Amino acid sequence: MKGYIIKSLLQVIPVLLLVSLIVFILVRVTGDPVALMLPETATAEDRAVLTEALGLDQPLYKQYITFLGSALQGDFGTSFRYGESALPLVLERLPASFELAVAAMIFAIIMAIPLGILSAVKRNTFTDLLISGISVIGKAMPNFWMGIMLILFFSVMLGALPVSGRGGIEHLLLPAFTLGIGIGAQMTRLVRSSMLEILNQDYILTAKSKGLRPFIIIMKHAFRNGLIPVVTIVGLQFTSLIGGTLITETVFAWPGLGQLLVTAVNTHDMAIVQASVFVIALIVIIGNLLTDISYRLLDPRIRYS
Amino acid sequence: MKTKSWITSGLLLLVVAIVLAGCGSSKESSTDSATNSKTLTIGNATDIESFDPHNNNNTSSEAVLVNMFDYLVKNDNEQKKVPVLATSWEQVNDTTWRFKLREGVTFHNGDPFTAADVKYTIDRVAKDSALKQNSYFKSIKEVKVVDDYTIDMITDGPDPLLLNRLSKMGAGILPSKYIKEKGIDAFLKSPVGTGPYKFSKWTKDDRVELVKNDKYFGEAPKWDTVVFRSIPEASTRVSELLAGGIDIASGIPSTDVERIQSEEGKQIVKAPIQRVLQLILRETEGTVTADPKVREAIDFAIDKQGIVDSIAGGAGIVTRTSVTPGNFGADPSLYKQTLYDPAKAKQLLQESGHAGAELNMTVSSQYKEYAEVVAAMLNEAGFKANLEVLEPSAFSERYSSKSFKEIFMIGIGNSLFDASNNYNRYLKTEAAGETDYNNPKVEKLLQDALVNMDPASREKQYQEVQQILAEDRPAVYLFQMEGIYGADNRVKFTPRSDEMFYADDITSVNG
Amino acid sequence: MPDQGMIRQLLKSKTGTLGLLIIVAVILCALFAPWLASHDPASVAPLKRLKPPVWLDGGESTYWLGTDNLGRDIWSRIVYGARVSLIVGVGAVLVSGMIGAVLGLLSGYYGKWINAIIMRVADSFLAIPSILLALVVLAVTQPGLITLIIVIGLTNWVSYARVIRSEVLSLKERDFVKAAQSAGAGQGRLIFHHILPNVMSSLIVISSMNVATTILMEASLSFLGLGIKPPDVSWGGMLSDGRQYIATSWWVATFPGLAITFTVLGVIFLGDWLRDKLDPRITNDQS
Repeated sequence: MKGYIIKSLLQVIPVLLLVSLIVFILVRVTGDPVALMLPETATAEDRAVLTEALGLDQPLYKQYITFLGSALQGDFGTSFRYGESALPLVLERLPASFELAVAAMIFAIIMAIPLGILSAVKRNTFTDLLISGISVIGKAMPNFWMGIMLILFFSVMLGALPVSGRGGIEHLLLPAFTLGIGIGAQMTRLVRSSMLEILNQDYILTAKSKGLRPFIIIMKHAFRNGLIPVVTIVGLQFTSLIGGTLITETVFAWPGLGQLLVTAVNTHDMAIVQASVFVIALIVIIGNLLTDISYRLLDPRIRYS
Repeated sequence: MKTKSWITSGLLLLVVAIVLAGCGSSKESSTDSATNSKTLTIGNATDIESFDPHNNNNTSSEAVLVNMFDYLVKNDNEQKKVPVLATSWEQVNDTTWRFKLREGVTFHNGDPFTAADVKYTIDRVAKDSALKQNSYFKSIKEVKVVDDYTIDMITDGPDPLLLNRLSKMGAGILPSKYIKEKGIDAFLKSPVGTGPYKFSKWTKDDRVELVKNDKYFGEAPKWDTVVFRSIPEASTRVSELLAGGIDIASGIPSTDVERIQSEEGKQIVKAPIQRVLQLILRETEGTVTADPKVREAIDFAIDKQGIVDSIAGGAGIVTRTSVTPGNFGADPSLYKQTLYDPAKAKQLLQESGHAGAELNMTVSSQYKEYAEVVAAMLNEAGFKANLEVLEPSAFSERYSSKSFKEIFMIGIGNSLFDASNNYNRYLKTEAAGETDYNNPKVEKLLQDALVNMDPASREKQYQEVQQILAEDRPAVYLFQMEGIYGADNRVKFTPRSDEMFYADDITSVNG
Repeated sequence: MPDQGMIRQLLKSKTGTLGLLIIVAVILCALFAPWLASHDPASVAPLKRLKPPVWLDGGESTYWLGTDNLGRDIWSRIVYGARVSLIVGVGAVLVSGMIGAVLGLLSGYYGKWINAIIMRVADSFLAIPSILLALVVLAVTQPGLITLIIVIGLTNWVSYARVIRSEVLSLKERDFVKAAQSAGAGQGRLIFHHILPNVMSSLIVISSMNVATTILMEASLSFLGLGIKPPDVSWGGMLSDGRQYIATSWWVATFPGLAITFTVLGVIFLGDWLRDKLDPRITNDQS
């Protein structure tokens, strides 16, 4: 186990290097940072000065090395929107996004487990069809459309929930639902299929033949084994969850990393883009590593011992 | 059992985390309910850029900052210059103005306001070319401190616009002592001005909160707290207004006007703003739009009133000049005028021999709808319009590199309230590469007006320019845009043409 | 590949049949758009704007699903939009499938450092949410249909590469491949005649999931202002433009929204069925 963890940690290094290369290439193709940073009235001389100051007159590989060197020290440049160093700006947004992502994940789990079990138990009945229909629609509906409709229904028509912004737990419900439903749908299907697999296994069939009540069988045996894939998917889905925050945060005016990124991309604030892509990549990599390790911990051979 | 407990504890942890996160911020949520009559909440499409008045170039930032920082002179609702931090002023000679400053004013941190602050502020914005507002102020050569409450402002030549500059975005007076002691970064983190409201907190992309300045030198501030929320998605902003979360929402889509009006307790308020939507045409030799007949055909082909009535939801005023009333140099004979005659457009195009000519039109995605309609109308007249929609920053990149093809569509504002600001782009050196417009007569009039200190003859010069441009058509003006705001009936709000939100001009109906 | 027996099996699955019907309908719309459309999808008529669907008060008989904010016929735009959605969906999947297949084959077949490099590249792509990658690239390149296809394609290849790699790894050890190898078959022949046909079913299954992701991603990018630009019509663009009108003229956003939802639904249902039939081992947790 220890060896495995060390090996995985070592693999993180080349991945981060590659991420930095991808980020660097993205930033290089971003048109002309100089033109964006200077006012319209700038002269050719102003441009030359800034080009040199930014090191844009250097050969590409040198620019990359410089970029990498400062990135390692946490220096991704200055956001020209805020005029501040980019990394702290990104980090200060993390709690808001994390709160939203965790809430979405909890929502997805709360939705997926009962629905998934129910539809496995009632396999091929109308209930099963209904559940899979609803969950697939949850996945198939564009996120922003759902968010806007939820606001119109729950906040404007019913007046039950706040429309937007970050605040108490009531502010969290609609965005968490919007962000989590797609993953919830996917998890429901996963729980269903893993439950089906387990329900057909010998020991469950034996239990059934012994006359144990189905509820007890499900709770005692099938439930916790059926959950294993859910745990592993939680980690893997964090990437798409982060991707989803770009949309959800914009719809709900949620002051997290997603909104910061969308504005940064739209204003070509490349320092912010670089820093956030890096931070996100790091979170994802660590997340995947943890999932991987916990998956190993939950290995079936341990389960049955 | 190991697995189960692992999962259970994991889930528990998540739940605890979320509840804690909820509790942690639930205290704040009491302040964002707009039901408290002493809190004013305004929803904008964008967040402020920073608290540096000199380094902002967007109206929505300045709309917030005007509540914290005072100008020396400000525009009232009719663009008359009224005293704020300066109590009186006079022109000493062609290049020197003397200002008497208000006594007994203090900054939010308690520092007294004196001539040193004015000198520091104006010198900074006039000299530091890295600041976004620098180009509007660099004609100010020097601020001389005469005594603690008197200064002389020296311009690098006769500058008829000095008062316009001092009453525009970016002219807020900063605390020199505070900044010199703490540094500009500390100032930006906890900014201090002389205005009726003090900085309280800024959560980026969420809200700016200001609280009242009890020691304000003028009339006592009307609100305890003023909150500016940033809600980028227009439909969310409208929903927030309807649900009662905010008192005023800016940038209401024209389609939601009726809906808000029909809602009990909500109203729509509109006001013409400084922005004129226009097509700028390239006259570079070899382009089809170099032919005056083609430009005329473009003008006649577009049904501006139709566009205002449909897409803009009535929120616009057609015009043949971009210098709208309220701006110095406006020519009222061209305002509320428009040309539209599709048959004539076709005929002009035939005569020009360019029928079927391609017109490449570039537009920023915010004006996409208008551009689609204009392109359809141009096609109707016999052009072949190719529309290129760019997202705003790609557009501004293209804009500053002056590399548009035949047409670009843009809404241009004017924070100086003076015709010179509209027409700098038609000066020969400025036009080079962009429109390549070159009319010696216009050039002479514009150059003269730039240094003409006699308002009467200066106004005539700009009016003459307008008449020429209306025929030369380096630009085809569509309409003057209107700001559409949604407001709760709790507040009385009259929008301004410069789009500023002076919190104290907004009053609570409940007292 | 489908034959009589397979179709019969498909018809036994309710959801599979539904999926098939939806997909066939969308494909037919895309193919016969000019005949199905009642108007020019791009023709702007400000005076006819925001007309409700024909069955509502104020609806006009030629505008079956009503008109949008510029007076364009929504039905015609949806029919033409089917083309774009399919082109983007299929195009992007082809791009990512091709990249993923080539890299997966290389990595599985040659192993060693080639494998190591490719897998690390895959990891780094996985570490950046694909919508973010697409967003950044689109913000700095010229917008357009082809760009969009390539960009979405470039961001989604990893699942292909991974699955194919593991297929190849297990296939390599199988007797018929070894036999072919010892019979002196060249590498190209081995890959194209023995390995590729065997990973085809996995490719098809992942692709069906990816078409769904792609169609949704196009919608998300449109929402963020970086989708298909006019005069091209896409469902995502229609939905995104129509979101201003959800409360006042619901039909402008609802119909393209339903078109997206049902198409994705159809793709998922069909994909599920294909997965059950072709390759029960793959779960779609990589999409």
